Formats: sequence, structure tokens, C-alpha cells
Amino acid sequence: MLELLAYDFMQRSLLAAALVGAVCSVIGVFVVLRGLAFAGAGTAHAAFAGVTLAYLLGLPPLSLAIVFGLTTVWITGWVEEKGRMKLDVSIGILYTATMALAILFLGLMKTYNPEVYGYLFGSVLSVTTEELMTIGGLSVVVLGTILLLSKELYFIAFDQEMAAASGIPARQIFYLLLTLVALTVVIALKTVGAILVFAMILIPASTAYQLTHSLTQMTLYSMLIGIFCAVSGVLLSYAFDLPSGPSIVLLATSLFFLAVCCSPKRLHRIQPA
Amino acid sequence: MTHPIIRFNHATFGFPGIVALEDISLTIPESEFVGVIGPNGSGKTTLCRAVLGLMAPLSGTLRVLDCACEELRCHHRALIGYLPQKGMIDRNFPVTVLEATMMGRYGALGLFRRPSRKDRDIARQALAQVGMDHHRESALGALSGGQQQRVFIARALAQQPRILLLDEPTTGLDLTAQHSVVELIQQLHQELKLTILMITHDINMIRSRVDRLVLLKTKLFAEGPPQEVLKPEILSQVYGKELVITDKDFVLVEDYHHH
Repeated sequence: MLELLAYDFMQRSLLAAALVGAVCSVIGVFVVLRGLAFAGAGTAHAAFAGVTLAYLLGLPPLSLAIVFGLTTVWITGWVEEKGRMKLDVSIGILYTATMALAILFLGLMKTYNPEVYGYLFGSVLSVTTEELMTIGGLSVVVLGTILLLSKELYFIAFDQEMAAASGIPARQIFYLLLTLVALTVVIALKTVGAILVFAMILIPASTAYQLTHSLTQMTLYSMLIGIFCAVSGVLLSYAFDLPSGPSIVLLATSLFFLAVCCSPKRLHRIQPA
Repeated sequence: MTHPIIRFNHATFGFPGIVALEDISLTIPESEFVGVIGPNGSGKTTLCRAVLGLMAPLSGTLRVLDCACEELRCHHRALIGYLPQKGMIDRNFPVTVLEATMMGRYGALGLFRRPSRKDRDIARQALAQVGMDHHRESALGALSGGQQQRVFIARALAQQPRILLLDEPTTGLDLTAQHSVVELIQQLHQELKLTILMITHDINMIRSRVDRLVLLKTKLFAEGPPQEVLKPEILSQVYGKELVITDKDFVLVEDYHHH
């Protein structure tokens, strides 16, 4: 197994997987706690629509993925804030509309382009050095911002109105969180793909949620689980010749169910408090 | 008379098309314990949100802590400790008692600054003041309703506030917990000389403890020492049939929050 690490492509994929695992699982903590799970799924599909349009127009795919992702996530936040419509309904509309756009753009392409499908299903083993640099740069931005503003992010996840009442610019922090979610989706698009990226955001954080009642511990556990699943998933996918995205996600899902069964919180809850 | 700390001057609050509080003129001096009462929908929570700066007056003015600014987001807001109405907290939210109390420091610290050892000490002191320091590593969700309320009061105290704003702190608690929370609030008022604004529908619980009662029904219906406000002719106009006055001068207002 160790000789695998001598290959350049393997080093790149493992590094990309570790970065994606870390970023997704840390932002996932805030997504899970703030109740933004479905919003993120919508963003991932919008980002894919951006990728297809970029291929159609001959632009860099990630640039339009960012534009589409950010627009969708901001609209979602705005709808939640105004409360004019139920959030699941408005996201359901955005989600399917952006998917329709993606299919439309795919149909407009005269030739079959396998690269586009790489963004749908992920192909971490084919990550290029250039893509790795983009992933690395964006990861530093997302993780750095979370580190700098962690106390504000925790506070709005716990109780946004209370945070606003104590003088924190809660609304701006909420939109910043949405922006970070969109950037995270874009980071993970190439490695796990649009369909599975949201699993990488939700599952490690939800697994950590089962294991602790401390916010800081939850974040730490989530990150460790995310990195472990991403790296092991890549190794499994190479060893058994499996697609990488599903390997990572199914490994994470297995850990999640294991955590649900063994959760100290669940065991504790059986006894009346 | 001591220094005024909250001043409403003909202030009206509401949303487009709805007036929640109309033409309020009220001055609250420093270190006063004020009880805010009124039926459901009388604007009690709006008064709270207004003082917190979550709602600007549609007309008139509101000055808090002598800050002349009209800005809703101003550093002086960190000097108001707030206990929101219960029931909005997810019991499964993974947060320890100390982590939840530390959130009281966050507004005062400002952006980008990380909590230091000193902030931790302030939070622990606040927990000690409400008798919860020994529970600091417990899960917030595992505590009883009364204990959670104490932790949220500690969070407000960790802000090192000059004003404590309590929105129905006893709702949803059992009778023993209700008494112990109100006693704690009274004790904090006496020891820390805080200005306290307590919104409640439980008049009996606070009538002997507050310096002044404010009776709201969209307008400022009455205000003054409890014995002046709690008169049958005043209360019956506001509460109507829900009111029963017994021989011993006890005022009972039917509590339909729980139903």
C-alpha cells in the first residue's frame, strides 16, 4: 500500500481529499447547527449548472460555479430572512430550476464531454496540480475566515436573534456563512462531485453531533472524521477500483450509523433527565 | 432621583400597518426594578425588542444609556443583558453550560478578538452568581428548565450589563423553579444594583418585589408603585373578565400561555 504514495497523482488526490474533507466537515458544523442542510444541496446543483454553462461558453468552469453558487445561496438566505415562503419550498424551486438549467446547457453542447460529468460525480484521482492549488487557496480562505469569526458563527448558529441583541452583526455573519457554504461547494465540486458534495458537508458534522455536547469538541471531531473518510475513501477507491466520490460518502455514512447506534447522547436520553 | 437610564419620549413602534406600541413616554432611572405587565398582545415583547435595538421607533425617540445615537447597532447595546422567552432553544443543541455562558462575552469583545482567560473568569463568576458553576461542563440540554434559565441569566450577566432585560423568565417552569428564579433576580438586583426590566404575566410573583409596575395595552395604560397600579378599576379595564380579585387583595390573572 505504501508504494502508492510514491505516485504523483496519488499524492495530489490524497492532499485534495484531505483538504476537501477538512473544509466540508468544518463548515458542516455550522450548516447542521444553523439548519441550512437543504440550502447547501440547492447550492451544489446551482454550482453544477455554472460549470455546464462555463463549458458551453469556453470559460473556466469554477468561475461560473462560484457565481451560480453564490447567487443561489444568497437568494436562499434572503428568502429565509423575509420568511415570505417556506424555506423548503423556495429551495426546492431553486434546486430543480438550476438542475434544469444544467441539463439544458448539457443538451446545447454538440458533443459529449466527459469532463463535465467529472463535476457531477467527482473524480479525485484526476485532480491536476492547478486544481489542487485552487482547492488549497480556497480552503485557506474558508478555514481562515471560520477561525477568525468562530465565536460569532457559533453564536448565530445557537441563537441568531440573541446574537443580534448583544451587538453582534448577526445578519452580516449569516450571509458570510452562506458565502462560505457556496465556496466550500465549489472547492469540493471536482473531488466528490455536485451530487455528493453535500454528503461531505452534512455527514461528518452529523456524526460528530452524536458524539459530544460541546461545540468545540463537535467541530474537532467533525474535522477528524471528514479528513479520515476522505483519505480512506480515496485509498479504498484505488485499491478496489471503485469510483472515489461514492467510496468517500458511503464510508462516512457507515460511520454515521455506527455513531447513531453508539451515541452517548442517545443512551443518556433513554433515562429521563 | 437617580440618573435616567432608559427614556421613551412619545415613541411608537410597530410594523407596516400594525401599531404594536403607541405613544410611550416612560423614564426608567438607574438601579430600578421595573415589572412590565399586560395581557397577551399588549406590546410587552415589542417593548423588550425596542430597548434591545432590534426595532426602531416609527415616531418619537428612545434613548438607552444616554447614548445619543439613533444607530440600532451601537456598542452600548452590549451593556444590556437579555434573557429571551424560553422555548426557542433546541434541547439537543451541542453546547456546554460554560460555552453558552461565554456567548455573553462575545458581543462585548467585538469581531475577531478571541476570548481570553479573563473572559472565561467573568463567565465562571457569572455562573457562580446564579449557583451553576459546578455544572459548567454539563450539556445545556440535559439541565432542567429552571437550571437552563439560570444559565441564560448567567450569560446575560457575563456581558457585565448595566441593564437586565428579562422576557417572561418564569414561563414554562414548575412552581418551585419559578420562585427560585424570581428570588435569584431580586437578589441580583440588590447585590449588583442592576436596572431590571422584567416582563411577566405573573403579577402575584413580582408585586411585592418590584419598585414599579408598568401596565401596557398597546398604550402605556398605567405606571407607578404596585399598590397604585394594582387597583380593580384599572386592572378590570385592561384584563376584563380574566380578572378575579379575592378578599385578600390578591390579583389573579388567568394565564393562558400554557394552554
